[in-house]
Amino acid sequence: MEKNYHVCTGCGLLCDDIEVEAEKNIINKVLTACRIGVAHMKEGKGEAIFRVDNKPVDEAVAISEAATILKNAKNPLIFGLGASTNETQKIAIELAKKINATLDDTSSFCLGSLVEAIIREKIKTCTLDEVRNKADVIIFWGTDPSDSHPRHLSKYSYFPRGKEKQRGWEEERTAIAVDVRKSHTAKICGNYFFQIPPKGDAEFIDALIAGLSGKLPKTSYNYPPKKILELANILKGAKFGVIFAGRGLVNSLENLEPIFRLMKALNEKANFHLMPMVGSCNTMGFNENLFAETGYVNSVKFENGTVLHGPEYSIVESLKAKTVDAALIIGSDPFSILPGSIVKNLLEIPVVSIDSYETLTSRNSKVYINTAVSGVEAGGTATRMDRKKVSFEPFIETNHPSEETILKKIMEAL
Amino acid sequence: MDFGSFLTNPEIKVKIVTYRDIFQDKAMLENRFGEEYRNRSAIIKLDPADLKQLNLKIGDTVTIKNSFGSVVVKAEESGYETPHRGIAYMPKGPWSITLISDETGGTGVPKFKDISVTITSAKGEKVTEIESLF
Ligand code: SF4
Repeated sequence: MEKNYHVCTGCGLLCDDIEVEAEKNIINKVLTACRIGVAHMKEGKGEAIFRVDNKPVDEAVAISEAATILKNAKNPLIFGLGASTNETQKIAIELAKKINATLDDTSSFCLGSLVEAIIREKIKTCTLDEVRNKADVIIFWGTDPSDSHPRHLSKYSYFPRGKEKQRGWEEERTAIAVDVRKSHTAKICGNYFFQIPPKGDAEFIDALIAGLSGKLPKTSYNYPPKKILELANILKGAKFGVIFAGRGLVNSLENLEPIFRLMKALNEKANFHLMPMVGSCNTMGFNENLFAETGYVNSVKFENGTVLHGPEYSIVESLKAKTVDAALIIGSDPFSILPGSIVKNLLEIPVVSIDSYETLTSRNSKVYINTAVSGVEAGGTATRMDRKKVSFEPFIETNHPSEETILKKIMEAL
Repeated sequence: MDFGSFLTNPEIKVKIVTYRDIFQDKAMLENRFGEEYRNRSAIIKLDPADLKQLNLKIGDTVTIKNSFGSVVVKAEESGYETPHRGIAYMPKGPWSITLISDETGGTGVPKFKDISVTITSAKGEKVTEIESLF
Protein backbone atom coordinates (compact mmCIF):
# COMPACT_ATOMS: atom_id res chain seq x y z
CA MET A 1 0.00 0.00 0.00
CA GLU A 2 1.25 3.49 -0.86
CA LYS A 3 0.70 6.57 1.24
CA ASN A 4 2.25 9.83 0.19
CA TYR A 5 1.41 13.45 -0.52
CA HIS A 6 0.21 14.14 -4.03
CA VAL A 7 -0.92 17.12 -6.06
CA CYS A 8 -4.52 17.48 -7.24
CA THR A 9 -4.88 19.02 -10.70
CA GLY A 10 -8.62 19.48 -10.30
CA CYS A 11 -8.53 23.29 -10.23
CA GLY A 12 -6.24 26.33 -10.11
CA LEU A 13 -5.41 25.73 -6.44
CA LEU A 14 -3.21 22.68 -7.20
CA CYS A 15 -3.53 21.41 -3.61
CA ASP A 16 -0.30 19.61 -2.73
CA ASP A 17 -1.41 17.87 0.46
CA ILE A 18 -3.48 15.05 -0.99
CA GLU A 19 -3.14 11.60 0.50
CA VAL A 20 -4.06 8.65 -1.63
CA GLU A 21 -4.45 5.01 -0.78
CA ALA A 22 -3.70 2.93 -3.82
CA GLU A 23 -3.24 -0.75 -4.30
CA LYS A 24 -2.28 -2.54 -7.49
CA ASN A 25 -2.66 0.65 -9.49
CA ILE A 26 -6.19 1.25 -8.29
CA ILE A 27 -7.02 4.24 -6.15
CA ASN A 28 -9.12 3.14 -3.21
CA LYS A 29 -9.24 6.35 -1.24
CA VAL A 30 -8.44 10.00 -1.80
CA LEU A 31 -8.08 11.92 1.44
CA THR A 32 -7.90 15.69 2.01
CA ALA A 33 -9.17 16.57 -1.47
CA CYS A 34 -12.54 18.18 -2.08
CA ARG A 35 -15.45 16.59 -3.92
CA ILE A 36 -14.11 17.73 -7.30
CA GLY A 37 -10.60 16.59 -6.48
CA VAL A 38 -11.75 13.13 -5.43
CA ALA A 39 -13.83 12.71 -8.60
CA HIS A 40 -10.94 14.01 -10.69
CA MET A 41 -8.34 11.72 -9.16
CA LYS A 42 -10.48 8.63 -8.79
CA GLU A 43 -11.94 8.63 -12.26
CA GLY A 44 -11.53 4.95 -13.15
CA LYS A 45 -9.86 4.34 -16.47
CA GLY A 46 -10.19 1.42 -18.78
CA GLU A 47 -8.05 0.65 -21.78
CA ALA A 48 -6.39 3.45 -23.70
CA ILE A 49 -8.65 4.78 -26.44
CA PHE A 50 -7.57 5.90 -29.89
CA ARG A 51 -10.24 6.62 -32.45
CA VAL A 52 -10.42 7.82 -36.02
CA ASP A 53 -13.88 8.55 -37.43
CA ASN A 54 -15.32 7.07 -34.24
CA LYS A 55 -13.69 3.68 -34.88
CA PRO A 56 -11.02 2.24 -32.61
CA VAL A 57 -7.51 2.26 -34.08
CA ASP A 58 -4.04 1.83 -32.64
CA GLU A 59 -1.87 4.70 -31.46
CA ALA A 60 0.27 4.92 -34.60
CA VAL A 61 -2.78 5.29 -36.87
CA ALA A 62 -4.28 8.00 -34.66
CA ILE A 63 -1.00 9.94 -34.56
CA SER A 64 -0.50 9.71 -38.30
CA GLU A 65 -4.09 10.80 -39.00
CA ALA A 66 -3.69 13.75 -36.61
CA ALA A 67 -0.46 14.77 -38.33
CA THR A 68 -2.08 14.52 -41.77
CA ILE A 69 -4.96 16.77 -40.68
CA LEU A 70 -2.55 19.39 -39.35
CA LYS A 71 -0.26 19.15 -42.38
CA ASN A 72 -3.12 19.63 -44.82
CA ALA A 73 -4.59 22.59 -42.99
CA LYS A 74 -3.74 26.11 -44.17
CA ASN A 75 -4.66 27.69 -40.87
CA PRO A 76 -5.05 25.17 -38.07
CA LEU A 77 -6.23 26.19 -34.61
CA ILE A 78 -4.60 24.84 -31.46
CA PHE A 79 -6.81 25.36 -28.43
CA GLY A 80 -7.02 24.29 -24.79
CA LEU A 81 -3.97 23.40 -22.72
CA GLY A 82 -5.39 24.84 -19.48
CA ALA A 83 -5.00 21.49 -17.75
CA SER A 84 -1.71 20.60 -19.43
CA THR A 85 1.71 20.70 -17.81
CA ASN A 86 4.12 23.53 -18.54
CA GLU A 87 6.22 21.05 -20.49
CA THR A 88 3.27 20.09 -22.72
CA GLN A 89 2.35 23.73 -23.23
CA LYS A 90 5.84 24.58 -24.43
CA ILE A 91 5.75 21.76 -26.96
CA ALA A 92 2.34 22.97 -28.15
CA ILE A 93 3.79 26.45 -28.69
CA GLU A 94 6.61 24.91 -30.75
CA LEU A 95 4.08 22.90 -32.71
CA ALA A 96 2.02 26.03 -33.37
CA LYS A 97 5.12 27.79 -34.71
CA LYS A 98 6.00 24.88 -36.92
CA ILE A 99 2.60 24.64 -38.59
CA ASN A 100 1.78 28.38 -38.60
CA ALA A 101 -1.19 27.82 -36.32
CA THR A 102 -3.57 30.07 -34.47
CA LEU A 103 -3.09 29.37 -30.75
CA ASP A 104 -5.54 30.25 -28.01
CA ASP A 105 -6.88 29.06 -24.66
CA THR A 106 -10.01 29.69 -22.58
CA SER A 107 -8.47 32.81 -21.03
CA SER A 108 -9.35 34.78 -24.20
CA PHE A 109 -12.99 34.77 -23.08
CA CYS A 110 -12.42 34.32 -19.33
CA LEU A 111 -9.78 36.10 -17.25
CA GLY A 112 -6.93 36.58 -19.76
CA SER A 113 -7.02 40.38 -19.74
CA LEU A 114 -6.69 40.45 -15.97
CA VAL A 115 -3.97 37.78 -15.92
CA GLU A 116 -2.04 39.82 -18.49
CA ALA A 117 -2.31 42.90 -16.27
CA ILE A 118 -0.90 40.82 -13.39
CA ILE A 119 1.96 39.45 -15.50
CA ARG A 120 2.77 42.97 -16.72
CA GLU A 121 2.70 44.11 -13.09
CA LYS A 122 -0.01 46.68 -13.69
CA ILE A 123 -1.91 45.45 -10.63
CA LYS A 124 -0.54 44.63 -7.20
CA THR A 125 -0.92 40.94 -6.42
CA CYS A 126 0.22 38.50 -3.73
CA THR A 127 0.47 34.78 -3.07
CA LEU A 128 -2.09 32.47 -1.54
CA ASP A 129 0.32 31.79 1.32
CA GLU A 130 0.41 35.52 2.10
CA VAL A 131 -3.38 35.55 2.06
CA ARG A 132 -3.43 32.67 4.50
CA ASN A 133 -0.95 34.32 6.83
CA LYS A 134 -1.91 37.96 6.61
CA ALA A 135 -5.18 38.81 4.86
CA ASP A 136 -7.75 40.63 7.00
CA VAL A 137 -10.22 41.84 4.36
CA ILE A 138 -11.10 39.41 1.57
CA ILE A 139 -13.44 40.25 -1.29
CA PHE A 140 -14.90 37.61 -3.59
CA TRP A 141 -16.08 39.57 -6.61
CA GLY A 142 -18.04 37.75 -9.31
CA THR A 143 -16.68 34.43 -8.16
CA ASP A 144 -17.89 31.53 -6.06
CA PRO A 145 -14.86 29.55 -4.92
CA SER A 146 -17.01 27.31 -2.72
CA ASP A 147 -18.13 25.74 -6.00
CA SER A 148 -15.22 26.40 -8.35
CA HIS A 149 -12.15 26.14 -6.05
CA PRO A 150 -13.69 24.26 -3.16
CA ARG A 151 -10.77 24.43 -0.71
CA HIS A 152 -10.02 28.10 -1.32
CA LEU A 153 -11.74 29.39 1.81
CA SER A 154 -10.61 26.60 4.11
CA LYS A 155 -7.00 26.36 2.98
CA TYR A 156 -6.18 30.00 2.26
CA SER A 157 -8.64 32.82 2.22
CA TYR A 158 -10.99 32.74 5.18
CA PHE A 159 -10.97 29.91 7.71
CA PRO A 160 -7.29 29.15 8.37
CA ARG A 161 -5.40 30.40 11.36
CA GLY A 162 -2.47 31.88 9.51
CA LYS A 163 0.83 33.02 11.03
CA GLU A 164 -0.40 36.54 11.71
CA LYS A 165 -4.05 35.59 11.89
CA GLN A 166 -4.20 33.21 14.83
CA ARG A 167 -7.72 34.15 15.78
CA GLY A 168 -8.96 33.30 12.29
CA TRP A 169 -12.21 34.19 10.68
CA GLU A 170 -14.17 34.66 13.90
CA GLU A 171 -12.28 37.79 14.85
CA GLU A 172 -9.58 38.67 12.42
CA ARG A 173 -10.92 38.29 8.93
CA THR A 174 -13.82 39.90 7.10
CA ALA A 175 -15.06 38.12 3.99
CA ILE A 176 -17.11 40.10 1.51
CA ALA A 177 -18.96 38.93 -1.60
CA VAL A 178 -20.08 41.08 -4.51
CA ASP A 179 -22.20 39.11 -6.93
CA VAL A 180 -25.39 39.01 -8.96
CA ARG A 181 -26.50 35.90 -7.11
CA LYS A 182 -26.42 34.63 -3.55
CA SER A 183 -23.82 31.93 -4.14
CA HIS A 184 -22.57 29.49 -1.53
CA THR A 185 -19.62 31.79 -0.95
CA ALA A 186 -21.96 34.78 -0.59
CA LYS A 187 -23.90 32.87 2.08
CA ILE A 188 -20.71 32.41 4.09
CA CYS A 189 -20.13 36.17 3.87
CA GLY A 190 -23.45 36.75 5.65
CA ASN A 191 -24.23 40.44 6.02
CA TYR A 192 -21.27 41.34 3.87
CA PHE A 193 -22.95 40.10 0.71
CA PHE A 194 -23.57 42.90 -1.77
CA GLN A 195 -26.01 41.81 -4.44
CA ILE A 196 -25.84 43.89 -7.60
CA PRO A 197 -27.81 43.59 -10.85
CA PRO A 198 -26.23 41.85 -13.89
CA LYS A 199 -23.74 44.23 -15.53
CA GLY A 200 -23.93 46.53 -12.51
CA ASP A 201 -20.25 46.03 -11.55
CA ALA A 202 -18.70 49.14 -13.15
CA GLU A 203 -21.24 51.43 -11.51
CA PHE A 204 -20.79 49.70 -8.19
CA ILE A 205 -17.03 50.20 -8.44
CA ASP A 206 -17.41 53.92 -9.11
CA ALA A 207 -19.90 54.27 -6.27
CA LEU A 208 -17.45 52.50 -4.00
CA ILE A 209 -14.61 54.79 -5.11
CA ALA A 210 -16.86 57.77 -4.29
CA GLY A 211 -17.57 56.20 -0.91
CA LEU A 212 -13.87 55.74 -0.21
CA SER A 213 -13.33 59.48 -0.49
CA GLY A 214 -16.37 60.28 1.60
CA LYS A 215 -18.65 61.30 -1.27
CA LEU A 216 -22.23 60.13 -1.66
CA PRO A 217 -22.18 56.88 -3.63
CA LYS A 218 -24.79 56.80 -6.40
CA THR A 219 -25.90 54.05 -8.76
CA SER A 220 -28.65 54.02 -11.39
CA TYR A 221 -30.08 50.95 -9.64
CA ASN A 222 -30.34 52.81 -6.34
CA TYR A 223 -28.06 50.65 -4.27
CA PRO A 224 -28.48 51.90 -0.68
CA PRO A 225 -25.67 54.50 -0.25
CA LYS A 226 -25.41 53.62 3.43
CA LYS A 227 -24.40 50.06 2.63
CA ILE A 228 -21.75 51.20 0.14
CA LEU A 229 -20.34 53.65 2.70
CA GLU A 230 -20.25 50.87 5.26
CA LEU A 231 -18.30 48.70 2.79
CA ALA A 232 -15.92 51.57 1.97
CA ASN A 233 -15.16 51.95 5.67
CA ILE A 234 -14.26 48.30 6.08
CA LEU A 235 -11.99 48.45 3.02
CA LYS A 236 -10.25 51.60 4.26
CA GLY A 237 -9.21 49.78 7.41
CA ALA A 238 -7.59 46.83 5.61
CA LYS A 239 -3.99 46.10 6.55
CA PHE A 240 -3.77 43.32 4.01
CA GLY A 241 -6.75 43.34 1.67
CA VAL A 242 -7.26 41.09 -1.31
CA ILE A 243 -9.81 41.01 -4.11
CA PHE A 244 -10.40 37.63 -5.70
CA ALA A 245 -11.76 38.57 -9.10
CA GLY A 246 -13.85 36.13 -11.12
CA ARG A 247 -15.44 35.96 -14.52
CA GLY A 248 -18.60 37.49 -13.12
CA LEU A 249 -16.66 40.72 -12.68
CA VAL A 250 -14.44 40.65 -15.77
CA ASN A 251 -17.15 39.53 -18.21
CA SER A 252 -19.44 42.32 -17.06
CA LEU A 253 -16.92 45.11 -17.75
CA GLU A 254 -16.15 46.64 -21.15
CA ASN A 255 -12.47 46.92 -20.17
CA LEU A 256 -10.32 46.79 -17.06
CA GLU A 257 -10.28 50.55 -16.35
CA PRO A 258 -12.80 50.33 -13.48
CA ILE A 259 -10.59 47.70 -11.79
CA PHE A 260 -7.47 49.86 -12.22
CA ARG A 261 -9.37 52.84 -10.76
CA LEU A 262 -10.59 50.83 -7.80
CA MET A 263 -7.15 49.38 -7.01
CA LYS A 264 -5.63 52.86 -7.15
CA ALA A 265 -8.29 54.31 -4.84
CA LEU A 266 -7.98 51.39 -2.41
CA ASN A 267 -4.21 51.64 -2.26
CA GLU A 268 -4.40 55.35 -1.49
CA LYS A 269 -6.27 54.49 1.71
CA ALA A 270 -5.21 50.92 2.51
CA ASN A 271 -3.14 47.99 1.28
CA PHE A 272 -4.91 45.95 -1.40
CA HIS A 273 -3.97 43.10 -3.72
CA LEU A 274 -5.87 41.38 -6.49
CA MET A 275 -5.80 37.83 -7.72
CA PRO A 276 -7.72 36.45 -10.72
CA MET A 277 -9.68 33.29 -9.86
CA VAL A 278 -8.06 31.24 -12.59
CA GLY A 279 -10.14 28.08 -12.97
CA SER A 280 -8.13 25.32 -14.61
CA CYS A 281 -5.03 23.91 -12.98
CA ASN A 282 -2.56 25.41 -15.43
CA THR A 283 -4.21 28.25 -17.33
CA MET A 284 -1.81 30.55 -15.50
CA GLY A 285 1.10 28.48 -16.83
CA PHE A 286 -0.20 28.72 -20.39
CA ASN A 287 -0.55 32.48 -20.13
CA GLU A 288 2.95 32.84 -18.67
CA ASN A 289 4.58 30.48 -21.17
CA LEU A 290 2.99 32.13 -24.18
CA PHE A 291 3.80 35.57 -22.80
CA ALA A 292 7.46 34.60 -22.37
CA GLU A 293 7.55 33.41 -25.97
CA THR A 294 5.46 36.08 -27.73
CA GLY A 295 4.62 38.94 -25.35
CA TYR A 296 0.93 37.96 -25.44
CA VAL A 297 -1.05 35.69 -23.13
CA ASN A 298 -3.49 34.26 -25.71
CA SER A 299 -5.05 34.80 -29.20
CA VAL A 300 -1.92 34.59 -31.35
CA LYS A 301 -1.17 33.40 -34.84
CA PHE A 302 2.26 32.31 -35.92
CA GLU A 303 3.24 33.13 -39.47
CA ASN A 304 6.66 32.15 -40.76
CA GLY A 305 8.52 33.30 -37.69
CA THR A 306 6.35 36.32 -36.87
CA VAL A 307 3.57 36.53 -34.30
CA LEU A 308 0.22 38.16 -34.98
CA HIS A 309 -2.08 38.96 -32.07
CA GLY A 310 -5.60 40.25 -31.57
CA PRO A 311 -9.16 39.16 -30.85
CA GLU A 312 -9.44 37.91 -34.45
CA TYR A 313 -7.07 35.10 -33.40
CA SER A 314 -9.20 34.07 -30.43
CA ILE A 315 -11.10 30.79 -30.67
CA VAL A 316 -14.40 32.65 -30.67
CA GLU A 317 -13.65 35.02 -33.56
CA SER A 318 -11.70 32.51 -35.62
CA LEU A 319 -14.52 29.98 -35.42
CA LYS A 320 -17.12 32.64 -36.01
CA ALA A 321 -15.36 33.99 -39.09
CA LYS A 322 -14.44 30.45 -40.16
CA THR A 323 -10.82 31.45 -40.71
CA VAL A 324 -9.46 28.18 -39.27
CA ASP A 325 -9.70 24.98 -41.27
CA ALA A 326 -8.73 22.32 -38.70
CA ALA A 327 -8.45 22.17 -34.92
CA LEU A 328 -6.26 20.44 -32.40
CA ILE A 329 -8.01 20.64 -29.03
CA ILE A 330 -6.04 19.62 -25.99
CA GLY A 331 -7.72 18.95 -22.64
CA SER A 332 -10.70 21.18 -23.28
CA ASP A 333 -14.34 20.80 -24.30
CA PRO A 334 -15.41 23.88 -26.26
CA PHE A 335 -18.83 22.28 -26.87
CA SER A 336 -19.54 22.66 -23.15
CA ILE A 337 -18.18 26.16 -22.68
CA LEU A 338 -18.74 28.21 -25.83
CA PRO A 339 -22.02 29.45 -27.33
CA GLY A 340 -23.63 26.75 -29.45
CA SER A 341 -24.10 29.33 -32.21
CA ILE A 342 -20.32 29.67 -32.53
CA VAL A 343 -18.97 26.27 -31.59
CA LYS A 344 -21.15 24.51 -34.14
CA ASN A 345 -18.67 25.68 -36.78
CA LEU A 346 -16.24 23.14 -35.34
CA LEU A 347 -18.48 20.47 -36.84
CA GLU A 348 -17.49 21.66 -40.32
CA ILE A 349 -13.72 21.15 -39.92
CA PRO A 350 -11.58 18.15 -38.96
CA VAL A 351 -10.93 18.12 -35.23
CA VAL A 352 -8.26 16.25 -33.28
CA SER A 353 -9.21 15.91 -29.62
CA ILE A 354 -6.61 14.99 -27.01
CA ASP A 355 -8.23 14.57 -23.61
CA SER A 356 -8.18 12.42 -20.53
CA TYR A 357 -11.99 12.46 -20.53
CA GLU A 358 -14.60 11.59 -23.12
CA THR A 359 -16.35 14.88 -23.96
CA LEU A 360 -18.77 16.34 -26.48
CA THR A 361 -15.69 17.53 -28.36
CA SER A 362 -14.05 14.10 -28.37
CA ARG A 363 -17.29 12.59 -29.67
CA ASN A 364 -17.47 15.15 -32.44
CA SER A 365 -13.86 14.86 -33.52
CA LYS A 366 -12.25 13.01 -36.39
CA VAL A 367 -9.37 11.82 -34.22
CA TYR A 368 -9.61 11.20 -30.48
CA ILE A 369 -6.65 10.30 -28.30
CA ASN A 370 -7.39 9.52 -24.67
CA THR A 371 -4.50 10.64 -22.46
CA ALA A 372 -3.27 10.20 -18.90
CA VAL A 373 -4.51 12.42 -16.04
CA SER A 374 -1.79 14.87 -14.90
CA GLY A 375 -0.77 14.42 -11.29
CA VAL A 376 -2.23 10.91 -11.20
CA GLU A 377 -0.90 9.11 -14.25
CA ALA A 378 1.53 11.69 -15.66
CA GLY A 379 4.08 14.01 -14.08
CA GLY A 380 5.32 17.51 -14.80
CA THR A 381 4.95 21.03 -13.47
CA ALA A 382 2.06 23.46 -13.36
CA THR A 383 1.61 27.04 -12.20
CA ARG A 384 -0.86 27.74 -9.42
CA MET A 385 -3.32 30.63 -9.71
CA ASP A 386 -0.91 32.80 -7.68
CA ARG A 387 1.97 31.94 -10.06
CA LYS A 388 3.70 29.50 -7.73
CA LYS A 389 5.27 26.53 -9.54
CA VAL A 390 4.12 23.11 -8.40
CA SER A 391 5.62 19.85 -9.61
CA PHE A 392 4.16 16.38 -9.44
CA GLU A 393 5.02 12.78 -10.17
CA PRO A 394 2.68 10.11 -11.47
CA PHE A 395 1.72 7.49 -8.88
CA ILE A 396 -0.47 5.20 -10.95
CA GLU A 397 0.95 3.23 -13.83
CA THR A 398 -1.10 3.56 -16.95
CA ASN A 399 -1.20 2.53 -20.55
CA HIS A 400 -2.62 5.94 -21.42
CA PRO A 401 0.04 8.10 -23.06
CA SER A 402 0.66 11.56 -21.60
CA GLU A 403 -0.27 14.65 -23.61
CA GLU A 404 3.41 15.46 -23.75
CA THR A 405 4.27 12.14 -25.41
CA ILE A 406 1.43 12.47 -27.91
CA LEU A 407 2.36 16.02 -28.92
CA LYS A 408 5.99 14.98 -29.37
CA LYS A 409 4.94 12.11 -31.59
CA ILE A 410 2.67 14.35 -33.67
CA MET A 411 5.59 16.78 -34.07
CA GLU A 412 7.81 13.94 -35.29
CA ALA A 413 5.16 12.67 -37.67
CA LEU A 414 4.98 16.10 -39.28
CA MET B 1 -50.99 43.44 -16.39
CA ASP B 2 -48.95 40.82 -18.15
CA PHE B 3 -50.49 39.81 -21.45
CA GLY B 4 -48.79 36.40 -21.19
CA SER B 5 -51.12 35.26 -18.44
CA PHE B 6 -54.13 35.36 -20.82
CA LEU B 7 -52.64 32.84 -23.19
CA THR B 8 -53.54 29.19 -22.82
CA ASN B 9 -49.89 28.35 -22.81
CA PRO B 10 -48.48 31.33 -20.98
CA GLU B 11 -45.06 32.60 -21.90
CA ILE B 12 -42.67 34.65 -19.81
CA LYS B 13 -39.56 36.56 -20.71
CA VAL B 14 -36.55 36.21 -18.42
CA LYS B 15 -32.87 36.97 -18.28
CA ILE B 16 -30.66 34.03 -17.38
CA VAL B 17 -27.71 34.23 -15.01
CA THR B 18 -25.42 31.20 -15.24
CA TYR B 19 -23.51 29.74 -12.32
CA ARG B 20 -21.22 26.89 -11.35
CA ASP B 21 -22.19 24.10 -9.03
CA ILE B 22 -19.73 21.74 -7.35
CA PHE B 23 -22.12 18.78 -7.47
CA GLN B 24 -22.63 19.32 -11.18
CA ASP B 25 -18.86 19.55 -11.80
CA LYS B 26 -18.32 16.34 -9.85
CA ALA B 27 -21.00 14.57 -11.89
CA MET B 28 -19.34 15.88 -15.07
CA LEU B 29 -15.98 14.42 -14.09
CA GLU B 30 -17.60 11.09 -13.38
CA ASN B 31 -19.55 10.91 -16.62
CA ARG B 32 -20.70 13.84 -18.67
CA PHE B 33 -23.02 11.62 -20.67
CA GLY B 34 -24.66 10.27 -17.53
CA GLU B 35 -27.99 10.91 -15.88
CA GLU B 36 -26.62 12.70 -12.84
CA TYR B 37 -24.84 15.30 -14.96
CA ARG B 38 -28.01 15.86 -16.99
CA ASN B 39 -30.15 16.15 -13.85
CA ARG B 40 -27.79 18.74 -12.44
CA SER B 41 -27.29 20.70 -15.67
CA ALA B 42 -30.59 20.66 -17.54
CA ILE B 43 -32.44 22.79 -15.00
CA ILE B 44 -33.61 26.36 -14.62
CA LYS B 45 -34.26 27.99 -11.26
CA LEU B 46 -37.15 30.41 -11.26
CA ASP B 47 -38.86 32.79 -8.89
CA PRO B 48 -41.97 31.08 -7.39
CA ALA B 49 -44.20 33.77 -8.90
CA ASP B 50 -42.81 33.07 -12.38
CA LEU B 51 -43.42 29.35 -11.89
CA LYS B 52 -46.98 30.11 -10.90
CA GLN B 53 -47.57 32.30 -13.90
CA LEU B 54 -46.47 29.42 -16.12
CA ASN B 55 -48.85 27.08 -14.28
CA LEU B 56 -45.96 24.84 -13.34
CA LYS B 57 -45.01 22.63 -10.49
CA ILE B 58 -41.42 22.06 -9.43
CA GLY B 59 -39.91 19.42 -11.70
CA ASP B 60 -42.16 20.10 -14.71
CA THR B 61 -40.33 20.64 -17.97
CA VAL B 62 -40.15 23.95 -19.79
CA THR B 63 -38.98 25.05 -23.21
CA ILE B 64 -36.43 27.84 -23.08
CA LYS B 65 -35.99 29.60 -26.36
CA ASN B 66 -34.41 32.51 -28.16
CA SER B 67 -33.08 33.08 -31.66
CA PHE B 68 -29.89 31.16 -30.90
CA GLY B 69 -31.34 27.93 -29.60
CA SER B 70 -34.02 26.05 -27.77
CA VAL B 71 -33.78 23.47 -24.99
CA VAL B 72 -36.18 21.57 -22.77
CA VAL B 73 -35.11 21.48 -19.12
CA LYS B 74 -36.69 20.97 -15.70
CA ALA B 75 -38.04 23.97 -13.81
CA GLU B 76 -37.10 24.41 -10.18
CA GLU B 77 -37.63 27.04 -7.52
CA SER B 78 -34.54 29.10 -6.79
CA GLY B 79 -34.97 29.06 -3.03
CA TYR B 80 -33.66 32.64 -2.75
CA GLU B 81 -35.48 34.69 -0.18
CA THR B 82 -35.33 37.93 -2.20
CA PRO B 83 -37.84 37.90 -5.07
CA HIS B 84 -36.24 37.94 -8.52
CA ARG B 85 -39.06 37.80 -11.06
CA GLY B 86 -37.73 37.99 -14.58
CA ILE B 87 -34.32 36.65 -13.59
CA ALA B 88 -33.64 32.92 -13.72
CA TYR B 89 -30.57 30.87 -12.92
CA MET B 90 -29.02 28.03 -14.90
CA PRO B 91 -25.84 26.06 -14.27
CA LYS B 92 -23.06 26.55 -16.81
CA GLY B 93 -22.84 23.74 -19.35
CA PRO B 94 -24.01 22.41 -22.70
CA TRP B 95 -27.70 23.25 -22.11
CA SER B 96 -27.33 26.87 -21.04
CA ILE B 97 -24.66 27.75 -23.61
CA THR B 98 -26.92 26.85 -26.53
CA LEU B 99 -28.82 30.03 -25.61
CA ILE B 100 -25.88 32.45 -25.74
CA SER B 101 -25.72 35.00 -28.54
CA ASP B 102 -23.02 34.74 -31.20
CA GLU B 103 -22.74 38.54 -31.11
CA THR B 104 -19.33 39.52 -29.75
CA GLY B 105 -18.63 42.90 -31.33
CA GLY B 106 -15.35 41.41 -32.56
CA THR B 107 -13.96 41.22 -29.02
CA GLY B 108 -13.54 37.45 -28.81
CA VAL B 109 -15.77 37.43 -25.74
CA PRO B 110 -19.37 36.21 -26.04
CA LYS B 111 -22.03 37.90 -23.95
CA PHE B 112 -22.14 35.16 -21.33
CA LYS B 113 -23.94 37.44 -18.89
CA ASP B 114 -26.63 38.61 -21.26
CA ILE B 115 -29.04 35.79 -22.06
CA SER B 116 -32.63 36.82 -22.80
CA VAL B 117 -35.12 34.03 -23.41
CA THR B 118 -38.77 33.15 -23.38
CA ILE B 119 -40.03 30.27 -21.30
CA THR B 120 -43.13 28.20 -21.94
CA SER B 121 -44.45 25.09 -20.29
CA ALA B 122 -43.39 21.80 -21.87
CA LYS B 123 -45.29 19.59 -19.45
CA GLY B 124 -44.88 15.93 -20.31
CA GLU B 125 -41.97 16.55 -22.69
CA LYS B 126 -38.57 15.04 -22.01
CA VAL B 127 -35.46 16.99 -21.15
CA THR B 128 -33.21 17.55 -24.19
CA GLU B 129 -30.55 14.83 -24.36
CA ILE B 130 -26.94 15.99 -24.39
CA GLU B 131 -26.32 14.11 -27.63
CA SER B 132 -29.01 16.05 -29.46
CA LEU B 133 -27.67 19.48 -28.49
CA PHE B 134 -25.23 19.44 -31.41
S1 SF4 C 1 -9.60 22.61 -4.27
FE1 SF4 C 1 -9.00 22.19 -6.40
S2 SF4 C 1 -6.89 21.44 -6.29
FE2 SF4 C 1 -7.75 21.36 -4.18
S3 SF4 C 1 -8.54 19.28 -3.98
FE3 SF4 C 1 -10.26 20.52 -4.72
S4 SF4 C 1 -10.17 20.38 -6.99
FE4 SF4 C 1 -8.22 19.63 -6.17
